[in-house]
Amino acid sequence: MRWESTIPNVLAGEAQPLACLPMDSEEFAAFYERSSRSLWAYVARVSGDPALADDLMQESYIRFLCAAHPEDGEVAKRRYLFRIATNLLRDHWRRPQSCSIEEIPEEFFAAPSDGAQSDSQAVLGPAMALLRPRDRQLLWLAYAEGYSHREMAEITGLASASIRLLLFRARHKIARLLRQQNLSERSGP
Amino acid sequence: MRFGSCIREIEVAGLLERGHWPQACTPELHSHVKDCRSCTDLILVMQTFRAARVQTAAIPRLEPAGVLWWRAQLRRRNTAIARIGKPILGAQVFALAISVVVALGWLTLEARAGFRSLAWLKEFPQSLHLEVLLPPAMPKLDANVGLLVGLLATLALVSGVVVYMTSEKQ
Repeated sequence: MRWESTIPNVLAGEAQPLACLPMDSEEFAAFYERSSRSLWAYVARVSGDPALADDLMQESYIRFLCAAHPEDGEVAKRRYLFRIATNLLRDHWRRPQSCSIEEIPEEFFAAPSDGAQSDSQAVLGPAMALLRPRDRQLLWLAYAEGYSHREMAEITGLASASIRLLLFRARHKIARLLRQQNLSERSGP
Repeated sequence: MRFGSCIREIEVAGLLERGHWPQACTPELHSHVKDCRSCTDLILVMQTFRAARVQTAAIPRLEPAGVLWWRAQLRRRNTAIARIGKPILGAQVFALAISVVVALGWLTLEARAGFRSLAWLKEFPQSLHLEVLLPPAMPKLDANVGLLVGLLATLALVSGVVVYMTSEKQ
C-alpha cells in the first residue's frame, strides 16, 4: 500500500472538498461577499498600497480557510479574518522595504466617485500618511469598522487598556491633521 | 472648551452610528458638542472614516471566491504532504546514519586485522591487467590506497541503495 492512499483526497482530483475545511464553498462565497470589501479597505487604507491590499487580502482568506476555527459565528469569523490581515501587515512591515509606504501617492486610490466622497478621500489620505502604522490600524478598526476596544485587542494583540490610550492619542492627532487639512483647503486657490 | 476624554462620547458615537447625528440630537447635546473638544474630534474623525470606508470598499476588483477556495484546498493538501514527508526524511537520515556506522565499524575491524579477509581484492585488479589502460607516465597507485577508494565507493553505493529502498518502502 502506498502512503498516498492513507490520506483521503490528498493526491486525488479535488472533486469534493477536504473534510476538515471550516466551511463549504457556498458558505465561503457568501462570507467572502460580505466581508472582502471591508477587509480590502482596511488593508489598503492602513498600508497605503492597493496592490499590497490585493495580495494580503487573498492570503488572509487562504489562511482563514486553512486554519482551524475555535470560534463560530459571523462576527467572530470576521474578527479572526481581520486578525490574520493585521498579522500579515505586521510581517510585511518587518520585512526590508524597497520603498516607504509614505512614498506611495494618494492617486492610487483614485476611483470613480462623487464629489463628497472625493473630498473625504483627499483629506484623509495625507493625514493617514503622517500617522504611524499602528495608529492607522487602531483608527480604522475603531472608527471605520466600529470595533470595540476588546475586539481591537483581539485583532491587534495589544492590551485593551493600552488601546484606550493609544486610540485617544491617535484620534487627537488625526483630528488636528484633518482640521489643518480643511483649513489649508479653504485658504487655498 | 473642555479637553480630554468625555463621558458623552458613547452617546455621540451611538448617534453617529445610527445616522441620527445631527438631526435627531437634542439641543443640549448640540451645545455640549460645541464646547467639547473630545466630542468634536470624535465626530470629525468618525464621519471622515465612515465616508472613506464607503468609498474605499467600492474600489477593489475582487478575485472570485472559488479561486481562493481552490487555492486554500491546494495549500491544505501540500501541508498534509509535507507533514507526512517529515517522518520519511527522518527515516532516510536514520537509515543513512546506521549504514555509515556499520560500514565504519566493519572498516575499523578490517583495518585492525590488516585487511586480511580482503587480500584477494589486492590481486583482483592485477589479474585484470588494468594498468595497460593507463598512460605510462602516470604514477602507480599504492594497492592499499586503491583498496580504500574501492571500499569507500562501495560504502557510498550501499548507503545510496539503502536510502532509496527505505524511501520506496515508505
